[in-house]
Amino acid sequence: MSELATLQINGTVARLTLNRPEQRNALSPDLLAALHSQIDLLRQKAVASEINVCVLTGAGRSFCAGMDLKAVLGNDALVEELLLSLAMFTHKLRTLPCITLAVANGAAIGGGCGLLTVCDMSITHADSKMGFPEVDLGVCPAVVAPWLVKKIGAGAARNMLLSGGLMSGHEAHARGIVCDVAPTLEEMHTQVNAMVERLAGASPAALKATKGLLNELDDSINEAVLRKAAALSAAVINSPATQGMLRKKMGM
Amino acid sequence: MSTDLTDVRVEDHAGVRIVLLDRPAKRNALTPAMLATVADLVRTFAADQSAKALVLGGEGPVFCGGFDLKMCLSRPGTTAALLTGLAELIDLLDGCDKPVVIAAHGGAIAGGCALLGAADGVIGNQTGQYGYPVLKLGLSPAVSAPALAELIGWGAARRRLLDVGLIDGHEARRLGLLHQLMDWPEDVLPKAVRLAANLASKPPEGYAATKQLLRSLRGGGPNQAGGETTGAGARRRALAASLSTADSSEMHTRLSALFAPAASSSPPVTKDSAP
Repeated sequence: MSELATLQINGTVARLTLNRPEQRNALSPDLLAALHSQIDLLRQKAVASEINVCVLTGAGRSFCAGMDLKAVLGNDALVEELLLSLAMFTHKLRTLPCITLAVANGAAIGGGCGLLTVCDMSITHADSKMGFPEVDLGVCPAVVAPWLVKKIGAGAARNMLLSGGLMSGHEAHARGIVCDVAPTLEEMHTQVNAMVERLAGASPAALKATKGLLNELDDSINEAVLRKAAALSAAVINSPATQGMLRKKMGM
Repeated sequence: MSTDLTDVRVEDHAGVRIVLLDRPAKRNALTPAMLATVADLVRTFAADQSAKALVLGGEGPVFCGGFDLKMCLSRPGTTAALLTGLAELIDLLDGCDKPVVIAAHGGAIAGGCALLGAADGVIGNQTGQYGYPVLKLGLSPAVSAPALAELIGWGAARRRLLDVGLIDGHEARRLGLLHQLMDWPEDVLPKAVRLAANLASKPPEGYAATKQLLRSLRGGGPNQAGGETTGAGARRRALAASLSTADSSEMHTRLSALFAPAASSSPPVTKDSAP
């Protein structure tokens, strides 16, 4: 079996790819573990000023379909572990001392849309689908909520998380979830190449000073908030009502 | 009003004080002396009962192209003085209880763009260029972060400060960096003066009380680091982050490279200011 998360490095640009295309890159415990080990490696290189830009994307047609609860549902401790793993990965992603660019090649749903929200910049194309349908499933999008509030503001985040559902790439752009939207997938890749080339030349020292300051002022360094959020999200998933609903949805 | 003004011009127009950066051949690239001059003019304006509103604009094709990078390269200490002067000017403009409008025609780059967050209204034009192309110069734009986040939110501010690319007036308007967009650059200053006159016609007590209230509401509560997110403490830390990169050997290497190559072949105007 191929690696669930791959890391390619080309000059000062790293490319971290969710590589579980047959499951639409859904975040299973194994995929998250793979992402953790790759981002730990990436962090060392970025600290050493070897990496300026990290592109986060998905293999296949989806960016990330969200949490994969199949393997853990029914085991409270494993659910808690999975949510904490997601929360700590978002924290590592945010505090990477390089620019993070999410390239949403396709659907970015729930926790997947959350990963995109954590990145410094993001791009998608008009035909992609994204959003936070957690409330539709009886789940609480607690881990992504702090990141979404920082990204689009508390008022807009409240409306989005409580409305559920999905939106097009265009609407995601209009509502500030993604920074840029290209008309087609092909055009998106052209724009990504130009953007990466532009960002790759940043001064590592100036970049670290800027990103460190942003993370400090917008409270991105606050790990305690994320631990609490992960526990809350897990508690809701572990409640009997939500479990029943999720089992039905997943045909379990 | 005309004593000892360094590359800055002042006009009064029916109660509106108009301060214009006046170094058009250099795209109004900022020097420490210019920043100090504008800061003095803002203090004078604040105390002057006859001046009801302030417009900050620029002569020539562009409102402000950023710091005078040639001076940063040739005179050590200039970059730190510019960053400190910029932070002080942002605080002064921001602290005015009377209306403040910026006419950002043609473009507002780097240090010029940083000023926009300190105004009650910002007007630009469609083909204007806005942004922070400074990370490639070895310099951090962190000093802009608190005021920029106030203006366009943390999400958009993060992207703009980390992306060296410039955006046009339409995108700047979409993000909220500009509040009004004109078709033509020459329409920007007249529109800004009309807006300032309109704001000046409102009862000043209510206007001042509202500005004070909005300042007191900012920040969204303390963050884990123990400070507020956009208030005075945050502004000090943001300045310190930018200062940590000023006059580094990397900055000098990168600025030297900017001015060194192909100096003979039609130098682009951007070399007089942040590109």
